[in-house]
Amino acid sequence: MRRFGRQCRGQGHVFVKLVRETETQLLTLGQHVGSLALSAQLVLQNAARFSTRQHTRLATQLTAAIEAHQLIEHQSRRLTHGKTLSACKIVNPYDRTIAPICKGKSNCPTQFGRKPGIIAEPASGFIFAAHLPVGNPGDNSYVLPLVDKVQQAITQVTHRPPLALHSLAGDLAFNDTALREALHARGILTVGIPHTVEPITSSPTQEEVGRILRDAGLHRQRTPYQVHLACACGYSRPVIESIIASLLCRGVDRVRYKGHRGAILQMGMTVMAHNAATLVRIEQHRLSKRAQKLRRLLCLRSRNSHQYNGSKN
Amino acid sequence: MRIVRHLQHWLTGRGPRLQVVDFVPETHPLRQWADTFPWAALVAAVDRSFAQRFPLKTARGRAPVATRVLLALELLKHELSCSDEQICSRLRTDLAVMYACGITEIHVDRTQGHFVLPEVLAQFRSRIDERLMEELITMQAAAAMEAGLVSPAHLVVDTFPSEQGSQRVNDAATLYKAKKKFSRSSRTFSTRAPRKGKS
Repeated sequence: MRRFGRQCRGQGHVFVKLVRETETQLLTLGQHVGSLALSAQLVLQNAARFSTRQHTRLATQLTAAIEAHQLIEHQSRRLTHGKTLSACKIVNPYDRTIAPICKGKSNCPTQFGRKPGIIAEPASGFIFAAHLPVGNPGDNSYVLPLVDKVQQAITQVTHRPPLALHSLAGDLAFNDTALREALHARGILTVGIPHTVEPITSSPTQEEVGRILRDAGLHRQRTPYQVHLACACGYSRPVIESIIASLLCRGVDRVRYKGHRGAILQMGMTVMAHNAATLVRIEQHRLSKRAQKLRRLLCLRSRNSHQYNGSKN
Repeated sequence: MRIVRHLQHWLTGRGPRLQVVDFVPETHPLRQWADTFPWAALVAAVDRSFAQRFPLKTARGRAPVATRVLLALELLKHELSCSDEQICSRLRTDLAVMYACGITEIHVDRTQGHFVLPEVLAQFRSRIDERLMEELITMQAAAAMEAGLVSPAHLVVDTFPSEQGSQRVNDAATLYKAKKKFSRSSRTFSTRAPRKGKS
């Protein structure tokens, strides 16, 4: 089972009933696990025919099984008594990093898996960093680790003038006062993160630019030109969906490797493959009109197509 | 040529020598894709990480398959949406895949069934940890910024769900396990069986 819930989650009482029934069944099934495990441990201790290695392996497996059952039992009792869970619901006792992923859809079953976050350039789609936390934390917890990774990459570049992160765009899930303050403290504009569902203006007036800089407290760090570019990027934020679609086509829609480390590995390799394809597109000028314009404004160059590119291996 | 020496005997065996570059045109998508990676830096990072975490206990034995080949295969696997078996099979037959893996010339040997076994690729993958993966992405981003192709000035951030899939049980892994089990059982049987001869 990779999903739970029914096709329409609108009527909550039906869902609660279903959960309680399932959890009761789980409790009934697992009530003998504790006693059986204890007797198995006794048998294992007295068994002389196993080698030390086999003995250790079996004991570890048995302990893992007992711990897994205890976790399930704890959450099942809370749910059957109508109490809320302190953390995410455990969907796989042997891989507790998996969590239910609710993405705000009201008419589909809840997926469970992982929720990676990416930080990318909206013009070309190049992904600078990816972050994959354990479980399903809030979206605003992704931002600072991702920004840290980008700044780490910037430190490796020997570019003059030095590169810097000027602005960050995101959806309404990133609208958090503490996060905005943290980003402003790093000199990053948050004009691309909306406060409401109203669309962001693509070309702000001079008064609006002044107000944005005043609110962020970045008068001396950021110029009005940079605010204009930040608004243009924030306005075109939905382009990230096409970047995500490109990753999904490369197989990130389903984690095939085992555990949290495996998920990070799959995600990382896919991001690198996607980035290489993006760089090929940039070199061949296969970009949208908007992306080309944005690249001109950012003074980004493309490689000369007449330049000799010998084998780089 | 260094990679050829590191690869197994099939690439240095007898037969006509093929220049891989001659068979893969510059406009080939896979060649263009492979040329964007800063291979030297990536391979050095992987080797450094492996040397720290898995130091070699002895210098004896055959040289391993080159890191460049295995890293490229892992990336190609995600680019071409292949399984381990499929990408290892393509390395044997597809010259563009050979180019992407950094193999510049090969000796043809028709009796050879494979260049890299899927198990070797899985073993390489199991050694890559989270820190190394982050380092590789950072290096690729830094190289692109250094070349002036991308800018970190205005970025956009988002999350998306990724469903947990089942572990794929492939034929190669099943066969490998079966062989291992068979050899273990036959060894046990031979040690337990009574010896004939002296009476």
